[in-house]
Amino acid sequence: MSIGAEGVNRNRRRSGARTLRSAAAALVLLAAGAAFAYPLRASSDSRDTPARLAVTDEFGRTIQVPQPVLRMVSLAPSMTETIFALGAGDRLVGDTDACDYPAAAKTTAKVGSVEAPSIETIVALRPDLVLATSLNRQETVEALDRLGVPVYVADPHTVQDVVQSTARLANLIGAGDAGQALVGNLRARLDALRRRLSGVPPSRVLFVVWTEPLISIGRHTFITDALAWADAQSVVDTERDWPQVSLEEMVRLQPAYLVFAGSHGDAGAPSLADLQARPGWRDLEAVRAGRVVVVSDALARPCPRLLDAIEELARDLHSEVFPENPR
Amino acid sequence: MKPLTLRRLLWTCGSLSALLLVVIVIALKLGAVPVSVTDLVMSLGRVAIGRSDRLPAEYRLIVFDIRLPRILLGVMVGASLSVAGAGFQALLRNPLADPYVLGVSSGSALGAIIAINVAPQFALATPLGAFLGAVATITCVYFLGLREGNLDSTTLLLAGIICASFLSAIIMFLMTTLSSRDQRGMAFWLMGDLSTPQTSDVRWLFLVGLVVAIGAIYTTAADLNLLLTGEREAAHLGVEVTRVKLVVYVAASLLTALAVSASGAIGYVGLLIPHAMRFLFGSDYRILIPASALGGAIAIVAADAMARTVVAPTELPVGAVTAIAGAPIFIYLLRRRMR
Repeated sequence: MSIGAEGVNRNRRRSGARTLRSAAAALVLLAAGAAFAYPLRASSDSRDTPARLAVTDEFGRTIQVPQPVLRMVSLAPSMTETIFALGAGDRLVGDTDACDYPAAAKTTAKVGSVEAPSIETIVALRPDLVLATSLNRQETVEALDRLGVPVYVADPHTVQDVVQSTARLANLIGAGDAGQALVGNLRARLDALRRRLSGVPPSRVLFVVWTEPLISIGRHTFITDALAWADAQSVVDTERDWPQVSLEEMVRLQPAYLVFAGSHGDAGAPSLADLQARPGWRDLEAVRAGRVVVVSDALARPCPRLLDAIEELARDLHSEVFPENPR
Repeated sequence: MKPLTLRRLLWTCGSLSALLLVVIVIALKLGAVPVSVTDLVMSLGRVAIGRSDRLPAEYRLIVFDIRLPRILLGVMVGASLSVAGAGFQALLRNPLADPYVLGVSSGSALGAIIAINVAPQFALATPLGAFLGAVATITCVYFLGLREGNLDSTTLLLAGIICASFLSAIIMFLMTTLSSRDQRGMAFWLMGDLSTPQTSDVRWLFLVGLVVAIGAIYTTAADLNLLLTGEREAAHLGVEVTRVKLVVYVAASLLTALAVSASGAIGYVGLLIPHAMRFLFGSDYRILIPASALGGAIAIVAADAMARTVVAPTELPVGAVTAIAGAPIFIYLLRRRMR
């Protein structure tokens, strides 16, 4: 059909087009109406558990937790470890792909990754309580909130926060006795460390979260505080939590030690020979002199095992005050 | 162009709606938690006869409170992006135009991020910011795409791609000011993601905006057919070119903004679905617009069902799925045009 004919026919077509238009509009409205016809109710809990404990989590959100807590899902490795440390591992019904400690955590039902877990898998596990940290996306927490699943979000910025968080969690899940014993033990070990290291000049260290690109820690992270307990001071001091820093700046600052959490061969912790071969890295005094310390991956996990990692680091950096346990 | 009859329109829309319904039911079945077909049919039947109170509690939660709202959001996002794409393709007389390729999605995302930072307490700030970002970007890209007063399709596409990368760079810069927790959420959203739950206010706003904008574009459908032959020719045939262009620009930007503020930048749907529909049902905009809306909905619901299941229980952003499927087809179309 030529364009001219289309133009001539246009007026005649107009009335037909109007009918078509209203028909289409009606279709769209119908489809939209059908889509919204099913009302989305707020989920009501049909189980007869009237006892609920109102608690405020570390982001200031108030949640109602059914008592006793019989089924828990953890969305972060540190939370999984804390639950096991409190002797409540048998009540953990789900955790993430990253939860690898203790060994029993690996066989727990998986709900997906820390960043993008499956909400429906979590809900299907019928948890009384979900445990999250600031590692999880806010969207995940909101989605569970909306479905009426209580989520406790931890946000520790210091080692003392980790200890307090452990105590609070112990009370929340009805493991008060185990919690008191654990917290008492952690505090005693912190005191012992402080006594032993008092008067020892702190070591200047670079904590490496990631090597390519070089990512370190900011002053508000619990890792910076954990380093301080081991009498080490981070040469990086930023407002941002996980800053990408330039190697050039590190060469200027020349930290006395490089500290990695994990094990040699991990993506995060390359071997010393590898570092000594890398341009930039080999210009660091610490690398040239082999002052590279690799401690347990728990140094990057705000859980009770963090204390083991702090002690390990303290022994590595200040062997002079740990004569009974030379390394 | 085949003559358009009411019968043909109803047949097209009816068959696409039926297909959409089938895809929705399949998407309701698929997910990290296995649901048997029998159970699903039984519970859908119970809902249909108004006995939804008889559903097992966790069943209701998983199928109707988690999967269904997400699928419905997918329907709306798919329809918006696809109709926006069809609109931009008509205006720019370029079949490769689409909100993502033209940088409008990035502009929308940047507007949304700025709005969240400026007025976090104001719930409508995100869609409003996204809208302003979309309008500003399409205006920019349009003028950059002009060569000696005429739209040049290669220049236009390049302008869009360059604007998109410029805007993405600004987004990266702004993201450094966020807390690490917000950054992770933002990174996921930027990939195009349907997992963020929407409040019912936002859902209603989206629905109303969608119906109004698609309706507005549809009123210009006959004029868009004539515009395809050229602006001057259309004007001679009695088309109010300026008014039509304004309506479609604003409505397509609004659709992009709604989709982006709900689900981030999902690529290629706005490009490929109108193409497929044009191939199947012809290029008459009176049929292309409703067909694109339904086709876009089908594509997003199917892509999101894949995003939820391929690496279950971990979820992929739906934008990753549409890009994997869409980018190769885009290249194919581009090469075929160059020949």
